[in-house]
Amino acid sequence: MDTGTGIRDYAARSREIIRGDPGVRESVTGATIAFDERRRQGYAEVDADAWRRWAEGVKNHTLTHLDRYLAEAEEQLQANGARVHWAADAAEAREIVTGLAARRGVGSVVKGKSMVTEEIDLNPVLEAAGIEVFETDLGEYILQLLEEPPSHILGPALHKSLEQVQELFAERLDTARDGDPDTLARAAREVLRGAFIHADMGITGANFLVAETGTIALIENEGNIRLTTSLPRVHVAVVGIEKLLPRMTDLAGFLQLTARAATGQPIGCFVSLIQGPAADPGDDGPEEVHVVLVDNGRTDVLAHEHAWEALRCVRCGACLNACPVYRQTGGHAYGYVYSGPIGSVLDPGLLGLHEAMPLPFASSLCGACEDACPVRIPIPELLLEWRREAQEEGLTPWKERAALAGLASVTTRPGLYRLAGKIGSRLGATGAARMLPMLGEWSRDRALPRPSPRTFRDLWREGIE
Amino acid sequence: MSVESRGRILARVASATASRARLPHPGVLVTPAADDPAAAFVKRFTSSGGEVVEADRGLERSAWLTRFLRGLDPEVVGVAVGPEVPPELRPRLPEVAAAHAGAGISVAWAAVAESGSLVLPSTGTRAVQLLPPVHVVWVPRGRVLARLEDALGEMRRDLPAGVGLHSGPSKSADIGRTVVTGVHGPGRCIAVLGIRTPRATSDA
Repeated sequence: MDTGTGIRDYAARSREIIRGDPGVRESVTGATIAFDERRRQGYAEVDADAWRRWAEGVKNHTLTHLDRYLAEAEEQLQANGARVHWAADAAEAREIVTGLAARRGVGSVVKGKSMVTEEIDLNPVLEAAGIEVFETDLGEYILQLLEEPPSHILGPALHKSLEQVQELFAERLDTARDGDPDTLARAAREVLRGAFIHADMGITGANFLVAETGTIALIENEGNIRLTTSLPRVHVAVVGIEKLLPRMTDLAGFLQLTARAATGQPIGCFVSLIQGPAADPGDDGPEEVHVVLVDNGRTDVLAHEHAWEALRCVRCGACLNACPVYRQTGGHAYGYVYSGPIGSVLDPGLLGLHEAMPLPFASSLCGACEDACPVRIPIPELLLEWRREAQEEGLTPWKERAALAGLASVTTRPGLYRLAGKIGSRLGATGAARMLPMLGEWSRDRALPRPSPRTFRDLWREGIE
Repeated sequence: MSVESRGRILARVASATASRARLPHPGVLVTPAADDPAAAFVKRFTSSGGEVVEADRGLERSAWLTRFLRGLDPEVVGVAVGPEVPPELRPRLPEVAAAHAGAGISVAWAAVAESGSLVLPSTGTRAVQLLPPVHVVWVPRGRVLARLEDALGEMRRDLPAGVGLHSGPSKSADIGRTVVTGVHGPGRCIAVLGIRTPRATSDA
């Protein structure tokens, strides 16, 4: 399957996945339902509503004081001995990281799972510079072998079945074709353990950056991020500017809430809190720590009257897990690194609405995403806002605009409405829908219930008891 | 270029938020504190796959740990021990590099009941905490804190370069949604509660 990016192809790609690779739907649905159930259990153990309102408040406070907290974080990081770099866009972020690698003679890099390094498309430029790159999260490693982008924020390879991984590892790592998950994981560990020990540079993202202490916080379950930030002599953290938290005590709440939203766990098995390069005599951590603060469209989102609320996102994946639309295709259909409900509201802000069409329409507006979100992002409301803007800017398909104009025309003219009702009841709803521009495709695979032969008006005239 | 971008980004942030109300911080998230933090820690840590043992009071700590490690795996001949581990808490086994050790031995700064976490500062050796297949962590008496906020709030006054919170063994469900342990970090994480260390003595 072609998994290159391209949001415009969302509909075609979704069709291709649903019809051509039904295993994806099965794997993604199974995994997301399980994640969502664990999230519910995780929320049920605490006063989740109060936690979520608190988290929303902290993020809103941070985002409305972001310049102050960015400056404070920079000052603290520098005081801790870390170097801070600022990247206005993806190209500059790539340039900073590759420049650091070149100046330090880096031959190999280990990476922790990081959406922002996917966003800035970092791996190809490192590889083009002759640097060997190892994705070390097990799911990301599987995808690196397959040369595919991640399909889910948390479980990047959740669209892959056990059989597909067995086949892949048999070919690439020489494991048995019926190897169990434990054997397969051990084979990956063998390869990656060597990579950790020999890597010159570790690259990660950050779940949070605490302004008060200059702390980069990273959550995970495998221990690969702890190793990535500990063993290589240089650690580079690529961090979106929206990741700030004011204080360490805020971090305590966010570490727990994010884990509960993501997997239902009280906290990730491993959390790394990194202040700067190794300083104590017994510390075998990195000699250098670099933090690259990335804008790449975030200030555009921040400036948007409504969409700025999407910057509260902690990338837990809870909205993806709850979404009945995402479950049908997984993330590849969306054509960009941020998929699912949060992608559909964030991508138009990061990339521009024109670039992100038709993602705001890739939703049933059921509201499950908002109920699951640990920072209460009003995703359905933001989707409607983007839809309104798309309509205003003439970005929706002309057939759809014509159909909606036609609908408005019919529903505001009683005579025309009566006539349309009669035609509809004669043809049957499915037949009528197939003749209409917007509903034609929608009704191709669906049979609508047969309408009553008599309209509501007829019944009304006859007298309804 | 990075300097120019710094100015540009901060200016854009300021401009984006200029007309927006500056919203207040909601204060501290108040979470319930366990009446018995040690018992709450054991419950939380073990439910995440961690293991908790108590050292045999009839034996010297060092002798107990040696026997305990041999009981885990009779083949364990080499261990990696963090520099923070005092002599009386070191097993009587050859010390080897972390990459070749059968077990790593550390002392936690504290444990946290709320999240079931061991707090491991980088003043210990990180490789010891991460590379061996088994990680045994001494938890000083009186150092099981009720809430994560208590731990981070106390620690922020004197933060080392790095801190790890370990709340169970390394695990992943990325292959076939089956949980496997020991993927990259230790497959077993064992907390030994109730030891008296110089730090704990001074705290008591």
